[in-house]
Amino acid sequence: MKIRTAKYIIKEGILNTYRNKLMSIASVGIVAAALIIFGIFYLISINLSNYTKALSDMPEMEVYCDPNLKDDQVAKVAEGIWKNGNIKDAQKVTKEEAFEKLKKLLRQDEQQLMTDGDDLWKGYDESFMPVSFIIKLDDPDKSSDTAEQLEKIDGVEKVWYEQGVIGFISKVTYWVRVISLFLITILLIIALFIISNTIKLTVFARRKEINIMKYIGATDWFIRWPFIIEGIIIGLVGALFAFVFVSYLYNMAEVKINKDLIKISFNSIRFVRLSEIGVTVIGIYSIIGVAVGSIGSIFSIRKYLHV
Amino acid sequence: MVEFRNVMKKYSNGTVALKGVNLRINKGEFVFIVGSSGSGKSTLMKMVLKEENPTEGDVYVNGYHVSSMDRRQVPYLRRSLGTVFQDFRLLPNKTVYENVAFAMQITEALPKEIRRQVPMSLALVGLSKKANVYPNQLSGGEQQRVAIARALVNNPALLIADEPTGNLDPENSWEIMKLLSEVNHRGTTVIIATHEKIIVDTMKKRVVAIDKGIIVRDQQKGLYGDEDKDCKIYN
Ligand SMILES: Nc1ncnc2c1ncn2[C@@H]1O[C@H](COP(=O)(O)OP(=O)(O)O)[C@@H](O)[C@H]1O
Ligand SMILES: [Mg+2]
Repeated sequence: MKIRTAKYIIKEGILNTYRNKLMSIASVGIVAAALIIFGIFYLISINLSNYTKALSDMPEMEVYCDPNLKDDQVAKVAEGIWKNGNIKDAQKVTKEEAFEKLKKLLRQDEQQLMTDGDDLWKGYDESFMPVSFIIKLDDPDKSSDTAEQLEKIDGVEKVWYEQGVIGFISKVTYWVRVISLFLITILLIIALFIISNTIKLTVFARRKEINIMKYIGATDWFIRWPFIIEGIIIGLVGALFAFVFVSYLYNMAEVKINKDLIKISFNSIRFVRLSEIGVTVIGIYSIIGVAVGSIGSIFSIRKYLHV
Repeated sequence: MVEFRNVMKKYSNGTVALKGVNLRINKGEFVFIVGSSGSGKSTLMKMVLKEENPTEGDVYVNGYHVSSMDRRQVPYLRRSLGTVFQDFRLLPNKTVYENVAFAMQITEALPKEIRRQVPMSLALVGLSKKANVYPNQLSGGEQQRVAIARALVNNPALLIADEPTGNLDPENSWEIMKLLSEVNHRGTTVIIATHEKIIVDTMKKRVVAIDKGIIVRDQQKGLYGDEDKDCKIYN
């Protein structure tokens, strides 16, 4: 296709969209709504699977000592742990190691906490960190019993263990995915229908023109392209609106939820940043927008091309 | 240039519009297709454009075997000939100049070529002064001249016109026919389907008379003829 033809086609496409303002705006709204709903489910499922991954990297059980324990008291705790019948392995995490780990974890969230480097840690040292033991169990199914027994050891402050969360979250993730796939299918069919109707109106309004073009020897593609461009414009503008809306929503949620996540755990669980998935989301949105727009318009013009 | 071989056309509702038409039109000819309403003139013209396909037989136009050609080839067939209709078929939201230029735009012609050809075409039909006017500001005769300018702008070897004067008063009809005759003198083959008895009789061109789907007369320097007589002879 020649550049001047492309120019003509794009100009006509934009004019079509403009002449058909009301329906174009309605279609953009429908496409945006469909993509927003899909986007929300998509982002939830991404975060859930991220959460699952983070959880599976974690130890089965971790026993935290009172931070004020002396070294010999810690050794007693270790003895107590080994006396339990369900222990396969127990590894000590020293105060220093724990402190380093915490620093490293929080550094990942630097941007959010607005610290660069160690300023935040001024006046703190490892002494406030507890010594802990990372434990592997012979029989993970008995973890709740074992945790209860370990908690009774003198000097143990807290026992954390995995409670089948991973399995549960995986199940939730699976269902979120199924639902979002189902939703996107339905929503896309609706969007397709609306776009195709919008363009049908344009085609109908210009059927005489199409007819004349056919008689003077315009090819089908020459006639079709402006309508496809119209569909693509609708799809892309809808995608853009959806992206802006979803990003805004997600950013708010991310800030709020990450703050809470850091408060409740030292674990490496956090909301996936928008900067990490923004490109993917905008990519998916554009592809869906273009596909829905062009397919919708091809449907609607077919009838009028057979002169 | 144009050839019909044993062409039969039966529409899907059962109407038989052409019953075995054989017709040959050579390069440079000027031909009137005459006949009463419903005799099959438009059907014949539509086959030249591949708007309709023959049920039986073959149609050849400008070297294309029209009746068996691929759908995708149709635009190129249509670019090789100019078409004029009774109802002008101009684009209302384009100026006279733009209407004519559009026929070149769709062929992806160079802008330079368009700027050269369009004024020439408009000059030929005597509408240079109305280039920037919209069709609804023109008389019927002027609109038809724009349509002729558009049909000629790509320099087709063949021009076909189905009742080009059907919507015009006698004076304008004459102007249009004279213009088409001039186009023919410049070398373009011209085929006109028409009802205009007086004009046909005066112009003394080749006349192909068709009645109920059959060619009943084909005469050089012919007259419109007496339809009743033709019917009687061939029924
Ligand atoms: N699309 C069509 N479907 C069915 N019958 C048609 C169609 N077009 C024309 N006819 C019939 O074919 C015959 C010839 O029509 P037409 O070629 O239009 O004649 P003319 O142009 O000489 O008036 C008429 O009887 C007409 O009713
Ligand atoms: Mg007719």
